[in-house]
Amino acid sequence: MSETRELDFAEAIREAIRQEMLRDKTLILMGEDVGKFGGIFGCTKGLQAEFGEERIRDTPISETAILGASIGAALTGMHCIAELEFMDFIGCPMDQIFNQMAKIRYMFGGSMNVPVVLRAPAGSRYPVACGAAQHSQSLEAWFMHVPGLKVVTPSMPYDAKGLLINAIRCGDPVLFVEHKLLYYAKRMASLRGPYPTLIQKVPEESYVIPFGKADIKRPGEDITVVATMMMVHKALRVAEELAKKGISMEVIDPRTLVPLDKQTIVESVKKTGKVVVASEDAKTAGVGAEIAAMIMEEAFDYLDAPVKRVSGLDVPIPYAPILESTVVPQERHIREAVLEVLGQKE
Amino acid sequence: MATPVYLKKMTWTMEEGLISKWLKREGDKTSEGEGLCEVETEKTTDEIQAPASGTLLKVLHKEGTAVPVNALIAVIGSPGEDISSIPVSAEPTVATGPQLVPLEKAQQARVSPTISEAPEPSLERIRISPSARRLARERGIDVTKIKGTGPSGRIVSEDVLTFSGKPEAGLPAEEYKSAPLAGHRKVIADRLSLSARTAVHVPITMEIDMTPAAKLKSEKEKTGLQVSYNDFIIKATAMALREFPAVNTMLLGQELRTITEVNVGFAVVSGEDLLVPVIRNADQLSLEDISRNGKTLAERARSGSLTTREMSGGTFTVSNLGMYDVDLFAPVINPPETAILGVGRIVPKLVVLGENTVIRQMMTLTLVFDHRVIDGARAAKFLQRVKQLLETPEKLVS
Repeated sequence: MSETRELDFAEAIREAIRQEMLRDKTLILMGEDVGKFGGIFGCTKGLQAEFGEERIRDTPISETAILGASIGAALTGMHCIAELEFMDFIGCPMDQIFNQMAKIRYMFGGSMNVPVVLRAPAGSRYPVACGAAQHSQSLEAWFMHVPGLKVVTPSMPYDAKGLLINAIRCGDPVLFVEHKLLYYAKRMASLRGPYPTLIQKVPEESYVIPFGKADIKRPGEDITVVATMMMVHKALRVAEELAKKGISMEVIDPRTLVPLDKQTIVESVKKTGKVVVASEDAKTAGVGAEIAAMIMEEAFDYLDAPVKRVSGLDVPIPYAPILESTVVPQERHIREAVLEVLGQKE
Repeated sequence: MATPVYLKKMTWTMEEGLISKWLKREGDKTSEGEGLCEVETEKTTDEIQAPASGTLLKVLHKEGTAVPVNALIAVIGSPGEDISSIPVSAEPTVATGPQLVPLEKAQQARVSPTISEAPEPSLERIRISPSARRLARERGIDVTKIKGTGPSGRIVSEDVLTFSGKPEAGLPAEEYKSAPLAGHRKVIADRLSLSARTAVHVPITMEIDMTPAAKLKSEKEKTGLQVSYNDFIIKATAMALREFPAVNTMLLGQELRTITEVNVGFAVVSGEDLLVPVIRNADQLSLEDISRNGKTLAERARSGSLTTREMSGGTFTVSNLGMYDVDLFAPVINPPETAILGVGRIVPKLVVLGENTVIRQMMTLTLVFDHRVIDGARAAKFLQRVKQLLETPEKLVS
C-alpha cells in the first residue's frame, strides 16, 4: 500500500537518499556540511544520525577532493552521491567530472563503471535571497556538451524522488541539478502562494522515473513552452494567467536534458506550431539553444513561428535584487515571449 | 515598404468601377482590412479595403472617376516614404517632390496599369512560416495569393487554412476545390445570415386558384400582350401592400419605418449570381407596365448590366421557383424588408367546387414574414388579399 504525503523538493530528495541508503549498503554520500549540519539546504538532515559518519561523510572544503574520492570509491565497488553546496563551485573538480567520471567506462572498454550522482544546487534564489555572480548560476548546459554524462533537471518533488532513485541505480555518472528556489517551498509561504506546484503529493514507497521521458505538466493547443526546473513553475503560472485570455499553453518539462526526450517535444510542436523554450541559464550556447536547434532539425515543417528562447541574460548575475530579477527570467519574460510568438500584443 | 492599392475585380463582368467616395484622405492612417473607398459597379457598391496598415500616402483618382479594373488607385506606406518606385501620378502637374516620375511614364501608368505590370513578388521575399508553407504545398495553394496576418505580415498556418477554407488538416488537395468567399457571393452570405440572425421568420401557406388568371393571360396573349404569371403576382402583391402598410414596413434598429412607396423586388438568376431588381411604385403601374418593366430588368440582370439603383429601394420581394417544379418553399426575408413571397408552380389539381370535383390550375404561395414587425393574423389577411386579387384577376387590370 502506498502512502502519499505532500512533500517539498528537499524532502523528496532526502526521502530518495534515505530509501536508497536502506536498500543499498554500498551507497555513501559525501559533501561539505552534509553530516552534522544536514546540508546547506537541509537535504541530508538526520541522515548522519541514522546511517553514521562512515556513510554520510563531511568533507574538507575541496570540491576536487569530494569528486576524486567519490569516483575512486565508485571504481572500487561503492555507489556514491557527491554533493556540492553550490553548482558555481563545479569548476574546481572539472577534470574529475568531464575527463575522469564521464570517460572511464569508455576508456576501460566497459570493464569499469562509475556510479556517482553529482548533486549540484543551481539557479537564482530571487526573491528569497541574493547569491550574486558566484552563487546563482545555472551551468547545466556545460555538461550537456560532455558525452558520457547524464544531465537530470527535475522541477517537482515527485519527479525529484523518482529521478534521483533512478540516478543512484543506473550505474553511470549523473549530474543531478537541483534548483535552489525549489528547496524553500515549505519554509516560505510567499513562494507557495504563487507556485503551488512546488509542493506535491509524493508516494512513500520507492519508485523510479526513467531518464529521457519528458512530462507534459499542462496540456495545451496554441503554443508549446518547454521549461526546465524553476521555469516550469513560472511557466505554469503564466499558462494559468493566459488561459483567461483564451490562450492554451502546453508546458513540457524535459526532466532530463541528457538524454532529451525529443519525441514528446516534437509531437507537441507538430500540434501547436509555436514554441518558447524557457531556461534560466545564460542564453548563448545554452539549454534553450540546444532544444531550439533540435526542434529546427526535427520539426521545421511544423513551425509556424521562429522558436523563441527565454533565458538568462549573458551577464554575471547581479547582487542587487532588482537587477537580478531582470537578468534571471521571470513570468513577465515568458508571457511576453509567448504573446510575441503568437503574434499578439500584451 | 509602400504598398500599392489596385482596383480589384468585384464581379465577373466588371471592367471598370466608379470611385464614388473616398473613406480616407491622403495622410490618414489606415489599418489593414479597413475600407479605403467605395466603388460602384454595375451590380453593386463595394469597399476597397486597405491591403496593408500605414498612412494613405497618395490617392490617384478623385471621387466620381471611373477607373479600369486592376488600375492603381492609391498608395499606402509610412509618412515621408519615397514612393518613386511605384508609378504614382494621376495628376502629373502636381509636383510630389524631387523624386517625381517622368510625365511619360506616369501617363503610361495611368492608362493601363495592371497587376501583371506590378513587380511580381518573388517567392524568396514572401514571409511565410515553414508550417504554413507545408500546408500550402499539401493543399496545392499558391502562397503568393495568401495574405499574412502573423508578426511582420508573415503568412502563418491559420492564414493558409483560412484561405483554403478547410480548417480540418490532412485532407489531400485532390479531394476538393476551394475558393474564397468573396464578391457577390459574400454579399449574399452576409445579408442572408443577417436576416437569419435577426428576423423571426414565420411561413404561412395558401393555395390559389389560378384558373381565372390563366384564362385572362391567354386572352391578353390573343391581343399580342405577353404577360407572365409573375406579373400577375407582382401586381396583386403591390396592390395588397398598398392596403397593408404594416407589411410595407422596415425595422431599422429601434425604428419601424413604414414606406410610402410600394417597390416590389423579384429574384432573378444571372449566371452564378442571384439578383433582385426592383419594380418601383408597382402598385401604381398597370399589369402591362409591370410586365414591360419586369422583362427589361430581368434582361439587364441576366446581362449583368443592372445599376445599383435598379437593385435598391425594394420594400418587398417575390421569389418564384415554380419553373423548377417546386410546389412550395419558404424563402429567407431580404433585410430590412418585413416579408417575402415564395411562389410555387402552377399545376392542375382536382378541386371540390360546390358539389363537383373539377380540375383547376392551382398554385401555392408561401408568405414568410418577420414576426417582430407583424403578427400572424395580419400576415394571413395580407396573403388572403393577395389570393382574392389573383383569383379575381379582372381587379388587376381595371
